[in-house]
Amino acid sequence: MTEVSIEKLTKDYGQGPAVNAISIKIAEGEFISLLGPSGCGKTTTLKMIAGFEDATEGAIRFDGSDVVRVPVEKRDIGMVFQNYALFPHMTVEKNLAFGLEMRKVSRAQIREKIAKVLDMVQLAGYAERYPRQLSGGQQQRVALARALVIEPKILLLDEPLANLDAKLREEMRVFIRDLQRRVGITTVYVTHDQAEAMTMSDRVVVMFGGRIAQIGTPSDIYERPASLEVAEFVGQVNIIRGKVNGGIVATAFGDVPVSGNLAEGTELMLALRPEAVELLPAGSGAGVFAKVLSSYYSGSLVDYRLELENGARVNVQAFPRTRFADGERVLVHAPAERFWPLGATA
Amino acid sequence: MNAAPAGKGLGPLLLIAPAAVLIGLFLVLPYLNIVVMSFRMPGQGTPYAPGFTFGNYGKFFADSFYILQVVNTLWIGFLTTFLCLVLGYPVAWQLARGNSAFRAVGYGLVLSPLLVGIVIRSYGWTILLGNNGIINRTLSNWGIIDAPLPLMYNALGIVIALVHVFLPFMILPIMSAIQGIDPSLESAARSLGASKVTSFRRITLPLSLPGIQAGCILVFVLSLSAYVTPSLIGGLRVKTMAVTVVDALIDTFQWPFGSALALMLSITGAVVVVAFGRLTVMKWKV
Repeated sequence: MTEVSIEKLTKDYGQGPAVNAISIKIAEGEFISLLGPSGCGKTTTLKMIAGFEDATEGAIRFDGSDVVRVPVEKRDIGMVFQNYALFPHMTVEKNLAFGLEMRKVSRAQIREKIAKVLDMVQLAGYAERYPRQLSGGQQQRVALARALVIEPKILLLDEPLANLDAKLREEMRVFIRDLQRRVGITTVYVTHDQAEAMTMSDRVVVMFGGRIAQIGTPSDIYERPASLEVAEFVGQVNIIRGKVNGGIVATAFGDVPVSGNLAEGTELMLALRPEAVELLPAGSGAGVFAKVLSSYYSGSLVDYRLELENGARVNVQAFPRTRFADGERVLVHAPAERFWPLGATA
Repeated sequence: MNAAPAGKGLGPLLLIAPAAVLIGLFLVLPYLNIVVMSFRMPGQGTPYAPGFTFGNYGKFFADSFYILQVVNTLWIGFLTTFLCLVLGYPVAWQLARGNSAFRAVGYGLVLSPLLVGIVIRSYGWTILLGNNGIINRTLSNWGIIDAPLPLMYNALGIVIALVHVFLPFMILPIMSAIQGIDPSLESAARSLGASKVTSFRRITLPLSLPGIQAGCILVFVLSLSAYVTPSLIGGLRVKTMAVTVVDALIDTFQWPFGSALALMLSITGAVVVVAFGRLTVMKWKV
């Protein structure tokens, strides 16, 4: 197990930094996701960890020793590529043996390790197949097995689920996460899919424009986003604006106490997730009135677009236990602790 | 559009009809004629005489001159193919993977010889390779050689000129094969611990085999049947099979024997190509 430490890592292709002095400490066995829109530097960061790109500045330490000058083939990494990159002219067995042969492992041991890893990815009996004879999900598992069979220091995954259909993608999330836990390998996972990052990771690194916007557990970045950008990237969010007045922000939902030493009169943005809002039939209790503008039913949830009495619009997500019709007056209620201050607006 | 399933109806047949007629009339029929001709009796003062015989083939196998010439022609073909492969592969690689500015220029350079007729190019080589040619004169002016190097009227000269003429036919198929290889495969090999050299040897080279195969077959077949270049550069001293066939047909007017020689050349070429195809069969391709 390896601890990875990225220190002030920078990549500049000549038109300003693509990755700008980022620092991340990854604990032994931790599953970290680099999450961000395309062009945010997440893939470049992964390539620098792997050694496919040189770092312009900074250090990458595996268990304390800097690997920035170490070529890819000596870094002892396992990598899964977006398109799997299985060798089409080799059978599954030969694909899996490749890395072991490079490490001069004996024939008998190779056979043993391959049998074990094929079992692990539930592909026993597929050793003689060529990649083109496998389904997308099976190819994905071979790619994982090929990266893991060499028992690398760290596992790097570059959007490995992007080419799978939705149902398989969800299965593979669980599969990869379980496998990673069982093997206990330090893992860096690159994705632009926030759901993927949140469901799989111990911690998520949100990146924008080559910089780290926030590092935190999935619930940190979802419930306590560091900025409006992060809040919007990791899910739907309602932004409620208000002025600080005696430690309290007055909103259409009522007074929300805010902590911290904020100057009187500061304009604040509060993030409110759609599912944090409770919807009740009119006249059934506390809350403020709102009108249902439209609703979108998706089976397990209903998305409502509401208009508050002051004209502000709010998105609310609710279980379809009680359904409200378009145009119906409802009561909305949001607990004060679900409002998250995003900092002062400029 | 008629939505008939493929293989049904006249549509597909009609589409290939023009090509089929062309090939039938101008390739299959003449070929059959050559086969028939090779069994005809040699004539006196006429191209052939009435009646049929195996004698033309007997003459071929009885005379080691012709056997040796086939061997010689094959040897020239092998050498040309091999040199084209060795010289062409790095160029194909650069064209497929190099930076884009180089690729445009390089592609033009590789194709440009095809714009010049083969006769002119072969004449060009006689100017370069002759005893009094540019190469020999330059070398002797510099005092590197005393007597001119024998570059013309031998197999070496023919091979040099053929390599030049056929190089594009090796480069282009290999280039397109390399372009078809996903660069992330090499990255994957590197990530698994392979050096750049090993990743080329174990991944890129085998995956470019379809291009190598196509290029080799093309160049080899073209070399065997090349006429202009060997006749200009080989002169009277070194003859390839193609030159001898034309001699027999036109100079000595022996149509039946010339046909038999032509067929022997075709058959040997075909045997080599099939054997090569068998040797380089790729199990991983469909």
